[in-house]
Amino acid sequence: MKILVIEDERILAESICSHLGKEGFIVEVALSYDDATEKINLYSYDCVVVDINLPDGTGFDIVEMLKKIKSASGIIIISARDALEDRIKSLEIGSDDYLTKPFHLSELNARVKALLRRRQFGGSNDILYNEIRINYNARTVFINNIDVPLSKKEYDLLLYFISNVNIALTKASMAEHLWGDNIDSADSFDILYSHIKNLRKKLTDKGCQDYIQSIYGIGYKFGDN
Amino acid sequence: MKLLGRTNLYYFFFSIITYIIIAGSFYVVVEHLIYSEVEERLRVERLDFENFVSTNAWTEGSFFVEYKINLQRANDTLQPILAFKDTVLINRYNQQPVPFREYSFYSKIGGRPYRVSIRKSLIESITLLEYITITMLLSLSVGLALLFIFQRRISKVLWKPFFETLTKAKEFEVNDAKPLNLDQQDIFEFNELNSSLVKMTDKIARDYNNLKQFTENASHEIQTPLAMINSRVEELIQVKGLSTDQMRWIQDIYESTLRLSKMNYALLLLAKIDNGQFYGHDQINVSEMVEEKLASFEEIFNLKIIHLTYHKTGDLLLDMNTTLCDVLITNLINNAVKHNINPGKIGITLSLDQFVIENSGEPLSTDPASLFERFRKQNKASNSLGLGLAIVKKICDVHHLSIRYDWTGEVHRVVLSKR
Repeated sequence: MKILVIEDERILAESICSHLGKEGFIVEVALSYDDATEKINLYSYDCVVVDINLPDGTGFDIVEMLKKIKSASGIIIISARDALEDRIKSLEIGSDDYLTKPFHLSELNARVKALLRRRQFGGSNDILYNEIRINYNARTVFINNIDVPLSKKEYDLLLYFISNVNIALTKASMAEHLWGDNIDSADSFDILYSHIKNLRKKLTDKGCQDYIQSIYGIGYKFGDN
Repeated sequence: MKLLGRTNLYYFFFSIITYIIIAGSFYVVVEHLIYSEVEERLRVERLDFENFVSTNAWTEGSFFVEYKINLQRANDTLQPILAFKDTVLINRYNQQPVPFREYSFYSKIGGRPYRVSIRKSLIESITLLEYITITMLLSLSVGLALLFIFQRRISKVLWKPFFETLTKAKEFEVNDAKPLNLDQQDIFEFNELNSSLVKMTDKIARDYNNLKQFTENASHEIQTPLAMINSRVEELIQVKGLSTDQMRWIQDIYESTLRLSKMNYALLLLAKIDNGQFYGHDQINVSEMVEEKLASFEEIFNLKIIHLTYHKTGDLLLDMNTTLCDVLITNLINNAVKHNINPGKIGITLSLDQFVIENSGEPLSTDPASLFERFRKQNKASNSLGLGLAIVKKICDVHHLSIRYDWTGEVHRVVLSKR
């Protein structure tokens, strides 16, 4: 899977690059508008992550260009502007997702994966992780083919974990993923804790290995190492 | 008072004063003319009389005209007498008082001193004076009235460009970020006014645009480094084998950065509302929005053992920006949760013109009104930014809603109502 990251801030671009790289994606970086247009016209990508504010152009123009050359890539816009008009505009011109800076890398990772899932698999398909199988379309979870009924939040949490295997996830990123900015962080951490407790219990009750590890003070990690 | 009304008033007072002065002085002048004419004639008649008595003997019948002449024996001629004076005598036939001018002097008739008074009737002169005065006053009134109407018309025409400018200036909206569009005028002063207004509004529009640009840029400039810190910290926590201390430091950095970006977001929101960058108003059913919000807060109510009572007597409809209404309700509910006790209560009452949210909590130690100020916190050590209620207040201000905070005992109440 090839991903193009168009972001003029070198440090941020590097971070995104190395984070997504760990997930097995081939990530390329374009630091400017010109650089990006060149890459878009030469190669094809499965997903393009584009910043709206570039020193020599806007991300909107890049999205429009992608649409003009009938590119099949999924588009995620990242922007420092949290204006509703920008959100609406970016969806109108054909981008698939919109993320406001500052964002969590794990959130971006989850969004990229969700986008690719929607694009690649088309019809029904399953996400597999050892004994866990998630039917993405039906929103159902199976452990060794035994159905595990999960609440909406628990399902979202598990999907977020599966999208970020072996990555240390901060409590803030998880809370934001589940509730957006509706709920104050201090409170949401407590609810998060109870959701994780329930999820862990439901999974292990069905014979699933306990993959959820807590990292003191920071958050959680999902994985077997 | 209107400009034209004021000019008319001044004109009216000015006319009255002019009228009185002109009328008064005219009367005085004409009267003086008549008197000097009459007195001149009386002096001539004195000469005639003296000529007559020096050659002829004086008898009562010498002058037959009524009251024409009056002689009185005088013992001496040393008593000073008033030469001219006004007097009124009764007409012998119709008993009407008639004004006379009387000229008195001493004269010797047959070697004996007499006090002689020659009189002349003023009746024709006074009638004349009256007619002249009335005619003059009438023509003066007509003149002033015509002048008044004329100047009213003129004022209306002259001030027309001014009123046009005024109408346009009133319609000026800073949100449009466009200077006034004013036409060239024939009158120098109005042209000056228009060009300074155009210059001023152009500056306002440009400043406003700059400010908007600045807020956006500031947001971008601050959010980007914050995003970089965040992303680096997230990478850092992936590193294995960090000591507990190191993890704690990273966590502190991470939390402070999150707090900072939340604060930046909140301040930016305040600045944007201040700049009126949220246009687009919709009729919003607040009750519906509150119900939606409450559903997403359900988990937190359960966790914090908060008992919610929701009561609706009518649909509260407000003409608001959707985003801001969402922020307003979220902040109010968040505030009620944050400053609650455990276990506690939240009561929400919605009626046709009010939204009341009550929560149980610790007694307030500060002035309730000051809670709407920026960075004002009841508990200094609390984790809150102290911007939530400031944003609420700002949103209410721009939408002309009234908001009130009060508390009795352990119940804190925020009342939002239509003004």
